[in-house]
Amino acid sequence: MSIRMSLPLVVNEPGAEHAPVVPFLRLSALWIQITGTWCNLECTHCINASGPDDPWLKPIAPEVAREAIREADELGVKEIYFTGGEPFLHGEILALLAAALAVAPTTVLTNGTLIDEAMADRLAGLARGAAYSLEIRVSLDDTDPEKNDRIRGAGAFDKAVRAIRILHDRGLLPIVTATEITSHEHAGGLGMYERFRGFLAGLGVEKPRVKIVPVFALGRSSREGGRRLTEDDLEGFDRGTLQCSESRVVADGGVYACPILAGLPGAKLSDGGLEASFRDAPLYHPSCVTCHETGMTCKNG
Amino acid sequence: MQERVAEYRRVALFGGVYNNAPALHATLEDARRRDVEAVFCLGDMGGFGPHPDRVFPLLKDHGVLAIQGNYDESLAQGKSDCGCGYTDPRDNHFARISYEYTFANTSTGNKQWLGALPGRRRIRLGEHRVLMCHGSPRVINEFLWESATPTGLLKRFLGQAEADVLACTHTGIKWHRPLPDGKHAVNVGVIGRPENDGSSNVWYTVLTAGPDLSVEFIPVHYDFETLARQIEQEGLPLEFAETIRTGWWTTCLENLPSRERARGKY
Repeated sequence: MSIRMSLPLVVNEPGAEHAPVVPFLRLSALWIQITGTWCNLECTHCINASGPDDPWLKPIAPEVAREAIREADELGVKEIYFTGGEPFLHGEILALLAAALAVAPTTVLTNGTLIDEAMADRLAGLARGAAYSLEIRVSLDDTDPEKNDRIRGAGAFDKAVRAIRILHDRGLLPIVTATEITSHEHAGGLGMYERFRGFLAGLGVEKPRVKIVPVFALGRSSREGGRRLTEDDLEGFDRGTLQCSESRVVADGGVYACPILAGLPGAKLSDGGLEASFRDAPLYHPSCVTCHETGMTCKNG
Repeated sequence: MQERVAEYRRVALFGGVYNNAPALHATLEDARRRDVEAVFCLGDMGGFGPHPDRVFPLLKDHGVLAIQGNYDESLAQGKSDCGCGYTDPRDNHFARISYEYTFANTSTGNKQWLGALPGRRRIRLGEHRVLMCHGSPRVINEFLWESATPTGLLKRFLGQAEADVLACTHTGIKWHRPLPDGKHAVNVGVIGRPENDGSSNVWYTVLTAGPDLSVEFIPVHYDFETLARQIEQEGLPLEFAETIRTGWWTTCLENLPSRERARGKY
């Protein structure tokens, strides 16, 4: 699949200079934004406005990813994540997953649409031969096909469910990740978490794994204005619970504070070196309010 | 002030008592028969099981050298939750039931005893400098699973602590990884519940000094049926009793890495 280039997404960046900061504690999670914002889907709520036409954040070269993995290993990283865009569009994704798995447990976040039987076989082989766990997070926004595809595009539901089935058949125990984008449409019924667990059980998934995440007001869900965190908001709050205290993201152009804000100038902490990014991260963006209020982490658990 | 470091040749270690007095009693008896010089508990006396106050006389009477786990810290400080570090709603649901029961049924004196425990201990086993902690050396409730703990991270922990052996618990499943330069990382397991392998026994660890460190994992068989009945009589979740009887975890599953999760029934 080739990348179709067009005008980059215009990003409204609030100022980061006077924002409260989060001290860097440790490198628990290295995130690699492997395909930038290049994706085969164009979800209506995408946090970084990924899509096939306008990858305003470019994919990164394999050598950049390998260097990040090598440096993270030396720095005592605990886990590695691949995200995008859609990571399985990257021509070297399997080789890079293997490189990461030689160093640390590794997770790949995918929409599942490109995982066919052959790819699932390769992933199962990788998982069997690795020293550490391979986790595959498959995004699905609703257990109802129509509601899901209204958000994620026609046919996305069937392809994601196929991926969940064939990964499960190979013992890979995918983690289904859902945003709360359609939760208001299920008022009065089971909670989202139980609804997804029940749905997976209905598919024959014996060990259902579900992660629910809030919708962030950025990317295609961005809104004008938006409240920002102040020092008063953080009075008595343990800033070490925020993921930017222990995560860094390698993406096109440098190293960023968190996966939500990867690619945005205000979240950029270094031009390339991982260790150089180990400094205070500004809580400058309206999305930081969501993490503060919900305790959200992009990590698996 | 220089930390005083006791020296031993052979010691027993376990974690996660989880209110399981019958298993604790059986473990202490087994360790005594194996001629260990000291017994160490790496924390989390409470949770999951019935009658929390029954484990404390055993720990004290047998001179068990304990450190504080996240459960102990929460009980001692009167916190509103166990601080186990779960993020999943189902895990947190069962953790809340367990913690509220344990908090209500642990005496003030025992909570104070837990509050006085150290956060870590150091010993020497022959030439090996051993660092004991609950979760990890840096975070009390950090999960160090076998399939999710990089060797690079373990080397870093040991380097920073100037230790040769890292002993931890918290996850509930034992493992041992020899590292370069004769160093070792050992998750000593827990004696409070079986380790999700379909067997009702629990596990503890014996470390013996030598040119290289000897790491033995010891299975402990105990009267699990009595414990399961007590869990039911106390009105704790039936899922807890099922785990005690079958050896399969029914709760607190969602933070397992895929490899450990795949080995279990649920």
